[in-house]
Amino acid sequence: MAFVNWLKRNLVVIAGLVTLGYLLLPNVVVTVFSFNQPKGRFNYEWQQFSTAAWQDPCGVADMCGSLSVSLQIALWATVGATLLGTMIAFALVRYRFRARGAVNSLIFMPMAMPEVVMAASLLTLFLNMGAQLGFWTILIAHIMFCLSFVVTAVKARVMSMDPRLEQAAQDLYAGPLQTFLRVTLPIAAPGIAAGALLAFALSFDDFIITNFNAGSTVTFPMFVWGSAQRGTPVQINVIGTAMFLVAVLLVLASMVVSNRRNRQKA
Amino acid sequence: MITVTNKTDHGGDVRLTGISKTYGSFTAVHPLDLTVPQGSFFALLGASGCGKTTTLRMIAGLEEPSSGTVFLGDQEVTHLPPYKRPVNTVFQSYALFPHLDIFENVAFGLRRRGIKSVKKQVEDMLDLVQLGEQARKKPHQLSGGQQQRVAVARALINHPKVLLLDEPLGALDLKLRRQMQLELKRIQTEVGITFVHVTHDQEEAMTMADTVAVMNAGRVEQLGSPTDLYENPQTTFVANFLGTSNLIEAEVDSKTNGDIVLKAGGAGKLVLPEARCSAPTTTGGRVLVGVRPEKISLTHADEAGEIPEGRNRITGRIADSSFIGVSTQYVIDSPVCPEFEVYAQNIDRDARLVPGAEVVLHWNPAHTFGLDAAQSLLAGTVDSAGIDEQAAV
Repeated sequence: MAFVNWLKRNLVVIAGLVTLGYLLLPNVVVTVFSFNQPKGRFNYEWQQFSTAAWQDPCGVADMCGSLSVSLQIALWATVGATLLGTMIAFALVRYRFRARGAVNSLIFMPMAMPEVVMAASLLTLFLNMGAQLGFWTILIAHIMFCLSFVVTAVKARVMSMDPRLEQAAQDLYAGPLQTFLRVTLPIAAPGIAAGALLAFALSFDDFIITNFNAGSTVTFPMFVWGSAQRGTPVQINVIGTAMFLVAVLLVLASMVVSNRRNRQKA
Repeated sequence: MITVTNKTDHGGDVRLTGISKTYGSFTAVHPLDLTVPQGSFFALLGASGCGKTTTLRMIAGLEEPSSGTVFLGDQEVTHLPPYKRPVNTVFQSYALFPHLDIFENVAFGLRRRGIKSVKKQVEDMLDLVQLGEQARKKPHQLSGGQQQRVAVARALINHPKVLLLDEPLGALDLKLRRQMQLELKRIQTEVGITFVHVTHDQEEAMTMADTVAVMNAGRVEQLGSPTDLYENPQTTFVANFLGTSNLIEAEVDSKTNGDIVLKAGGAGKLVLPEARCSAPTTTGGRVLVGVRPEKISLTHADEAGEIPEGRNRITGRIADSSFIGVSTQYVIDSPVCPEFEVYAQNIDRDARLVPGAEVVLHWNPAHTFGLDAAQSLLAGTVDSAGIDEQAAV
């Protein structure tokens, strides 16, 4: 009986922990196996603890090159998609123009379309245009499919903005540019940041569309896929774990900053 | 920075000439002329949808007039964008910048005009509105009344020629609103800037403003001091919107040295000073006779003989009475009007004045006003205001 009562009281916590475990277990495995010293070419069975891979993360041929390509593409795709997406979101919320309804629904097409279909069609398009496949075709494709996510995130924020704030800014001697930089942009910033983060993650991660349109360029996901045919170097786990850690650190840092800010204000 | 204002300075005059605003086929403001003198506290009063806020926004530059001109002092500002007008607004929902703290909110206007050392001015202004302690808080951490004061400080710090207030007290509870009314009045007297205040609350307008313009359906019905509007309403809308009025239809019987004698249904003769009648009066023509409920005395029918000569009288029966402390409000069923309202001060209460009692209502003819009979008796009452509002939406 006492146990049942205890269970009742702690059910929410238990459910939370189980869900968290379910989410984190794959990450734990990735991390643990980054310290493995496999016998063959495949890092699928635990052999013995080693920090060799961590000491030489770029020890595998071409891997860090592909990582750098991926980071560059993700960065530029984020910049491009965030710029365009923010402008589209403002246009859709603030202005009435002829094709507004159509743009509003068509902007979600890339989200709904099966990725592999889009990848194939894009390749057709690029080939017919005579475009040289590589960095630029990947970037163009990534900006395209990241756009809808940025638009969605920013639009939600802009819609909830009180237009009177901008009127108040104008009333207080801020011209159009000042109003945008001092009031509109800072208030829309959380939406824009969310859109940008999403774009970065999606672009860095993308395999299908990239694989179709990459030509001879190799991104990090393509490298992992390619090496999985012949053997999986431990360094892949090292990079994966490092990315995970960076993300966790960023989240923690932002939590600490906002906590401290709130405590100062209170 | 503070310019000394004197009575002959017209730099803060607001002059609207023939200004109007139409949205498609809807006319929000009919061509209207208005002059707000420098240094005055001016109220635009009306029900929602009457065009008062649109008028205010045209002065601020947030709305482009469809016709007419806006002058601030000698400067025409009709087509100037808001950020080039020496005018600041306190918005209805305050519109404080949520991402900036109180200090930065107040400093916003100064910084945009390129003023570098703002600290002293901002601190002084925050002290004026008693928020010196809250400078580093964000707007959402303040109460409604405090936010309201920040909005006032943020506008006033720029020493505008005119401060526009758009229902600034609408979101506050009654007690706080009373307090802020006095506070705003104090600030206005202290800084001497022209205030143009938009409100739907007649008591607020009367408490604060030197001059009130009553607006209805995109037009100014009447303009004057609160006393003038209350004592001498020119239209049924003003008579009903500002306080309560008893209105009776009557026929012009004759005129004698400055007085009009009227016949009203079963009430016998009523006297109305000609100067207090805004309607054309030809013998046999009809006018509306009005009198405020608190001007009327009630006498029990048994003592009708004791009422002095020369007072207007109406007989009736008390239909209802409600005691509200300072006064007792009676509703009298009379031949000329089934719901005649009388407010009697509770000084010497006559125990016989209970529902069902026969009474004589009498008042000094000088308190009677006359209106054009061609208007709706109900204009400006609660019932018709509801209809206006729906039409405006």
